[in-house]
Amino acid sequence: MARMKFLCDADRCIECNACVTACKNEHEVPWGINRRRVVTLNDGKPSERSISMACMHCTDAPCAAVCPVNCFFTTADAVVLHSKDLCIGCGYCFYACPFGAPQYPRVGNFGSRGKMDKCTYCAGGPEADLTTAEYEKYGSNRLAEGKLPLCAEMCSTKALLAGDGEIIAQIYKERVVKRGYGSGAWGWKTAYRETVAI
Amino acid sequence: MHLLRIALAALMLGGGAAVLAQTGRDVPPAASTANPSGQNPTAASVREDQLLRELNKLQGRVSIPDGKAALLEQPQGREWRQFREGWLPWIGGIAILGMLLALFGFYFTKGRIRLDQTEESGVKILRFNAFERFMHWLTAVCFIVLALTGLNYIFGKRLLMPIIGPDAFAALSQWGKYAHNYLAWPFMLGLLLMLIVWVKDNIPNRVDVAWIRKGGGFLGDAHPSAYRFNAGQKMIFWIVVIGGLLMSATGILMLFPFSATDINGMQLTQAVHAVIGVLFIAAILAHIYIGSLGMEGAYDAMGSGEVDLAWARRHHDLWVEEQRAKTASGPQVHGARPVPAE
Amino acid sequence: MKTIILAIVAAVLLAGAAAYLLSVNQKPAYQAFSTTGARVTPTDNLVGPNWSGDPQGRGAGHRG
Repeated sequence: MARMKFLCDADRCIECNACVTACKNEHEVPWGINRRRVVTLNDGKPSERSISMACMHCTDAPCAAVCPVNCFFTTADAVVLHSKDLCIGCGYCFYACPFGAPQYPRVGNFGSRGKMDKCTYCAGGPEADLTTAEYEKYGSNRLAEGKLPLCAEMCSTKALLAGDGEIIAQIYKERVVKRGYGSGAWGWKTAYRETVAI
Repeated sequence: MHLLRIALAALMLGGGAAVLAQTGRDVPPAASTANPSGQNPTAASVREDQLLRELNKLQGRVSIPDGKAALLEQPQGREWRQFREGWLPWIGGIAILGMLLALFGFYFTKGRIRLDQTEESGVKILRFNAFERFMHWLTAVCFIVLALTGLNYIFGKRLLMPIIGPDAFAALSQWGKYAHNYLAWPFMLGLLLMLIVWVKDNIPNRVDVAWIRKGGGFLGDAHPSAYRFNAGQKMIFWIVVIGGLLMSATGILMLFPFSATDINGMQLTQAVHAVIGVLFIAAILAHIYIGSLGMEGAYDAMGSGEVDLAWARRHHDLWVEEQRAKTASGPQVHGARPVPAE
Repeated sequence: MKTIILAIVAAVLLAGAAAYLLSVNQKPAYQAFSTTGARVTPTDNLVGPNWSGDPQGRGAGHRG
């Protein structure tokens, strides 16, 4: 099976937020919950750079390790998913996540914070693939339909790449060689303990 | 096609060909064909490794009205995970099991501290009034639930989950979380009441130095003098007050996450809460032991509020004198016969 | 023993009061992380109508 990863080519990202909108629309993600976001560093300065960020589906994911009820699991495609039936909304995964991916329906940590929600790599949840129950809790399951995450699929500059880590790393490497510059695969060192040599 | 291009490039740029030969790639050098400007348009832009080196996390700007979302990357999450999954179970396990082992060892080697039979046995003296007992038990029942539900966050998935299964464990943990978050408030109330009511009896003084030097009534065989609270009890009082206030402060910060601090602050808050918490539990285990099994007659003080005068004179002689001087007619001392002065 | 039972009752009552007072303070993400222009009617979505994370009204079908 493939080892699914995201790669954001920061030299191409133009902060159009199409990935954010695509994600919101595809999964009916409610207000205030942001599975994907575009962060701009040094906004307005010559050194400005934008990066689209969601759950990176880390190798040896910290969120899964710290969860007090072990509600996370990793699929055969190395996608990190969680069960909203088990989640108690404690918020620990947010402390552990290097990328700020976990989202909660409610703000205060007392009582029910609600079930954590995060990027599923368009792969649904633990329920049977393509069922209504799965859709209502986790959104659509494009991976089960043989498609890749919508954010990357409709990225206008193809800055955001999704797919098998080796393949997208290869695409990125070729791109860097061709154009002569690149700023590396943002977040890969933290998420996957490896980076794309450029 | 590639070969042709390479040949062309080599003709045009001798230096470029040399670089190409070194890298051994069948792609033309960027400077010559692919990027006609020969410039890197994002050369001035920030780079991840450099930012992480300088600032150790990546903070930017985001169009979402949620400040947390502007944090792009914080590798410290991995470190916090190492604390929570690597260190904390060991700290907690050693503190709590170590204390239990010490108490078992003490019980089986020294046994209970017995109540002496004197002519004052059977006479009762009021040690804690109803309100004092109420605030003690208010804090105590909350503490027990808070301790168990708190330990569940660390050890539940390791010990309980394999036994009862993930679904039952998740439901239990959900209710445990409600209990932890809401019983924290009566705990804090009880803590403040105890601080106000008992602080005047818990100021360390010279008698405590002598008490500690003699090893208390616990380690040594002597029964050194003590006022209302001996040095050991004063220690428990200050452990509860300082530990409890630290737990309350860090707990409130975690109930209102990100209201006062950022992600690294939240991680530190959780670490402090967890470490103080397990040490607090270990200390209270000793307190529970000495107040129930460890010493005969001690439980009555918090049970009915009235202790045996013989016990009181043995462990809190100076306090008994104080009480008797205060109420010469003896409303505090319930008993048929008058107590001869010693 | 009477004091202990009284303390348990008081603890439960105070915890209930805390739960009520805190629930007033609790804000759903759509209020906390939106600007005044957002008009949100909580309906069935990924977090459910109660914004609790439990989607209700099952059988609404695959929308959109």
